[in-house]
Amino acid sequence: MERAFGETILRLSNIESAYGPVQAIRGVSLEVRAGSIVTVLGANGAGKTTILKTISGIIDPHKGTVWFDGREIHKRDPDWIVRCGISHVPEGREVFPLLTVRENLLMGAFTRRDPQGVLADIDRMYAYFPILRERERQEAGQLSGGQQQMLAIARALMARPKLLLLDEPSLGLAPKLVKEIFEIVRRVNREEGTTMLLVEQNASIALATADYGYVLEVGRIVMEDTCERLVQKDDIREFYLGVKSDAPRGERRWKRKKQWR
Amino acid sequence: MKKVAPGPGPALVAERRARLPGDTVGRKFWNAVSMRNASIALRQKELGIWRETTWTQFGDHARRIAAALAAHDFMPGDTASILSNTRKEWSFADFGILLAGGVSSGIYPTDASPQVEYLLADSRSSVVFVEDDEQLDKVLDVRARLPLLKKIVVFDMEGLARLADPQVVSLELFEQLGGEHERAHPGLVEERLAARRPEDVAILVYTSGTTGRPKGAMLSHANIVCVLEEFAPELDERDDDDKMAFLPLCHVAERIVGQMFSLQSGARLNFVENPDTIAENIREIAPTVFLGVPRVWEKFYSAISIRMKEATPLQQRAYALAVGVGQRVAELELAGRPVPALLGLANRALRWAVLNNVRKAIGIHRMRWALTGAAPISPDLIRWYRALGLMLVEGYGMTESCAGGSVNLPGATRLATVGRAQPFNEIRISEQGEILIRGRNVFVGYLNLPDKTRETIDADGWLHTGDVGEIDADGFVRITDRMKDIIITAGGKNITPSEIENELKFSPYVTDAVVIGDRRPYLTCLVMIDHETVEQYAQSRSVPFSDFRSLCRAREVQELIQGEVDRVNAKFARVEQVKKFRLIEHKLTAEDEELTPTMKLKRTLVNQKYRELIDSMYRGD
Repeated sequence: MERAFGETILRLSNIESAYGPVQAIRGVSLEVRAGSIVTVLGANGAGKTTILKTISGIIDPHKGTVWFDGREIHKRDPDWIVRCGISHVPEGREVFPLLTVRENLLMGAFTRRDPQGVLADIDRMYAYFPILRERERQEAGQLSGGQQQMLAIARALMARPKLLLLDEPSLGLAPKLVKEIFEIVRRVNREEGTTMLLVEQNASIALATADYGYVLEVGRIVMEDTCERLVQKDDIREFYLGVKSDAPRGERRWKRKKQWR
Repeated sequence: MKKVAPGPGPALVAERRARLPGDTVGRKFWNAVSMRNASIALRQKELGIWRETTWTQFGDHARRIAAALAAHDFMPGDTASILSNTRKEWSFADFGILLAGGVSSGIYPTDASPQVEYLLADSRSSVVFVEDDEQLDKVLDVRARLPLLKKIVVFDMEGLARLADPQVVSLELFEQLGGEHERAHPGLVEERLAARRPEDVAILVYTSGTTGRPKGAMLSHANIVCVLEEFAPELDERDDDDKMAFLPLCHVAERIVGQMFSLQSGARLNFVENPDTIAENIREIAPTVFLGVPRVWEKFYSAISIRMKEATPLQQRAYALAVGVGQRVAELELAGRPVPALLGLANRALRWAVLNNVRKAIGIHRMRWALTGAAPISPDLIRWYRALGLMLVEGYGMTESCAGGSVNLPGATRLATVGRAQPFNEIRISEQGEILIRGRNVFVGYLNLPDKTRETIDADGWLHTGDVGEIDADGFVRITDRMKDIIITAGGKNITPSEIENELKFSPYVTDAVVIGDRRPYLTCLVMIDHETVEQYAQSRSVPFSDFRSLCRAREVQELIQGEVDRVNAKFARVEQVKKFRLIEHKLTAEDEELTPTMKLKRTLVNQKYRELIDSMYRGD
């Protein structure tokens, strides 16, 4: 069943997840509409990764529901969720280092039963990421960080997901590569219609790429809006984009209080 | 039951009054330092450890500041301002300015630079003490337009080590300079002290004025000495008491009843780390006497309400039983009736077994009595604290009466009143129903505003408080509302909104409310929800929400508040019932203009700012 563009495809209601006694997210509700890119911004430890892990079934929430494409998917196993159409690009890439680039891509299509389609998709991935075609026969472990990130994204796309979860794709990459990868992400979204939920610390690139954004602070959403409007907000500008108002002394150590409005 | 005498008795009051001689605040401070020398005056947490300041050290700081001011041509009668959160250096600077014969003026640390500019210009301050780099930047922003400002003294130099600005100096260096100047000019402070007379202005307290510019109320030494010698001794505050300083010191409540009363009584002042750590600090300090504003009492009550919702059913039942018995005892005591022996016994047992834990959880377990003022409080809230066994009494005073006015005393308390007139001032009701106060505590006037002063203090010396109220046969004063807040509905009915608002605020889910209806067909209300409790409520019922706005818009939250409004409506006549309400969807903080320094909504401003939202409640009828 295809969701029409703009219809809600993913809905989190009051999700609370914890690692043992440490509560990582405390009642998060958010929505992702089909065909859009939604970003969740937040500092280290805000709970961004936990949200993605809860969606893809790696951790089970204590409370709340995850609804995806017509059914509730929380407390299901990760492989079942992948078959539902959610692919997760984990933080730190995690490609199979000893497999070649091509083998990695084939692993991404593990759940599929259409060999012809898979081959065609590998070509499509090569078209998005030409460098992967060049490195086709190399072991993934020998690729640079940026190339590994591209491979991880391409591998996730091989499952033809309805929803792609991206965890900090910019982590540890040079600014030029970050820009390149996000341009491709944007193209994939526009051309394939793949819905994406993007978790990022790099707020400027995330806000430039996504359509809608949530701001997460210590496990709670403190603000949500379209990215266009978010970049105008004072708190976003000062705390996430590093824009500071003019200081009379030329330097400023103290921070304004966050108000989230 | 032990019978509590109303008030401490004339002999004891006289003895407490005589304890600290001096006809100006400066001379009182001077005497306090020489009498109390090595005993503890102040405590403040530094790097996680409570550090003590003795009266001798306190005096040394203030004296060096006074000398340094003198070294900068600061003359008796000149004004210096203080822009800082409540911390011990605030008090050092305050008494330093007074020892130098100056006038001390406080600025709210939450004020933005345009307000800071206005207050420094209006008070003609030549020196300003600022807390840190954040506050410094506000002054630097506007100093080009302040030709009278000569020196900026910074308490905390963190992050400013590289700053080389001839106008800016650290407090440490400033005091060092003062020490040198004093050695070169022995007897300087004594000279300055001698130069002040009781009728001279001692401090300026700017009142936030809901309309127009803030007005600088001038309080003389005589005003302050009057309340120190005649109000403070009415309260049982001793030199071994621990108090907590946490309200803004620019507000007359903390300045006079907190800091200055400690000068008279010798009670230790413990400074909170910052305004966000009040709840933790009160548990650490466990004050023995306390001055709070309604917002603080509401906050503590909400916190306990939340915890009880999460408690086990057994705990909940024990709590309900103990509070119920406590309330029955409190009612009897308030009415002056004897408590049956069995009920008293049950009360003591339950207090020991149950309520003491609640008191410890708040941090009020050592508290002998507490005072509330500065804003109206719900009688239900006082009843609840009384049930816990805390002697919470309400008083009434304002900046213009130097915090004096009327007070309920332990043993002479009537709920829903603000007590009897204090011995040093008369209170009467004008023909318009306004409360008038006359006494030596009534202020000198508003700085630079002779017309406003004449409007406020009439020819016979009566201070027009702007509050409406009545006095009962036993002399207890009941405030009904602010004069300008009285609502006259389109139907011609006079309604006092604060009574309705106080009932609403008693709900743990409501932080504050403003009732609207002047020249309108019916009453409506804007409600500021309590973020924590409402969030908890929504989560425990799996109500989805993301940010504060979406929480306010959740249907279940709207229904929750509707329930609270219905509960309150049941207590009022039909015309006094709130027909519709809206929630304020911004989370308001101290920096917002909508709130007073005591975190209450400003009625006039809220009425203007939320005009559109208010109008929406009257549309389509």
